[in-house]
Amino acid sequence: MNDPANEWKSWLAENGPRLLLFARGWSQSRHDAEDLVQEAILRLWNHQSPAKSGPPDLPLVFSTIRFCGLNHHRSETRRRKREESVLYFNDFQDVWLDPLLEEDEEALILRRAVQELSPKLREVIVMKVWGGLTFQQISETLAVSPNTAASRYRYGLEQLAQEMRRVKEARHASA
Amino acid sequence: MQAPELKSIEAALARLMPPAMSEQGRISIESMIDELAGEAAPVKPVGIGFVKAITGIAALVALVAAVTLFRDETAPALATTDPETSPAILELVGESDRIESLEDEGWFADPDGGAMHAVRIRMIEENSLRDPETGIVMQIREPREEMLLMPVSAF
Repeated sequence: MNDPANEWKSWLAENGPRLLLFARGWSQSRHDAEDLVQEAILRLWNHQSPAKSGPPDLPLVFSTIRFCGLNHHRSETRRRKREESVLYFNDFQDVWLDPLLEEDEEALILRRAVQELSPKLREVIVMKVWGGLTFQQISETLAVSPNTAASRYRYGLEQLAQEMRRVKEARHASA
Repeated sequence: MQAPELKSIEAALARLMPPAMSEQGRISIESMIDELAGEAAPVKPVGIGFVKAITGIAALVALVAAVTLFRDETAPALATTDPETSPAILELVGESDRIESLEDEGWFADPDGGAMHAVRIRMIEENSLRDPETGIVMQIREPREEMLLMPVSAF
């Protein structure tokens, strides 16, 4: 029996982390990122007509999260202007990539470097490495050419490599 | 930059895993999926107003329950009604849907890269309900906010 709810839940269990990671690029916190994923799933459910078709393809989900993120970013910017006096506590547990699996020095540097990439480069890296999308699918998601997607990916990798070299050299120099 | 160096960065990236969703987040989304799957009628496109609509319905149910309880307490033994055979408790005598304000939200890019002009609309839905037994007329106001996205075809 093809139960749409169970099908979507299985799909969420499989793809939730990579969607969350992508949404994290459009959110101020992990909690906001989960809200963004939920909003995207709500939109996609209505779009997909789940009684007839199953969960959506990943490129469409990434694209929808990005669209929702753009909307949130605009309203968040306006809200921040109104609430400039509010102080936010730093959530030290709120990391983008799981720190438990890789705790060596390289992983820590790389994790921080990914977070500090420019959004344009980071979203391509996330979709390629953790989303498993092809450059063609990424280009459709971002409305850019496949060559542009590939260039951003390569440039992002180069920046990560440079940052890792820089941090390692700085540590060796101070040691 | 050398290709092997980029390959090693790719390999290192692949070893980093995205964190799982929080238990609360997962439960929240799964509950939403269950609710969506449980809807018998064809699913209409809903947006941010969905939660507010649910809140409005819950408020109406709570109001009806409160009126019923209040009547039960003040006039306890005068009459009893069978809820299965009695007519509807409240009757709708008037409804209106008016725009409170319009706010230009600027332009957005849709998922296909097309330009969309967004307008935030604040609306107030007012329903007047009358209790046929007491003649009391109640007014329920339900403010809601909608985002209207219009494709921009000319610049």
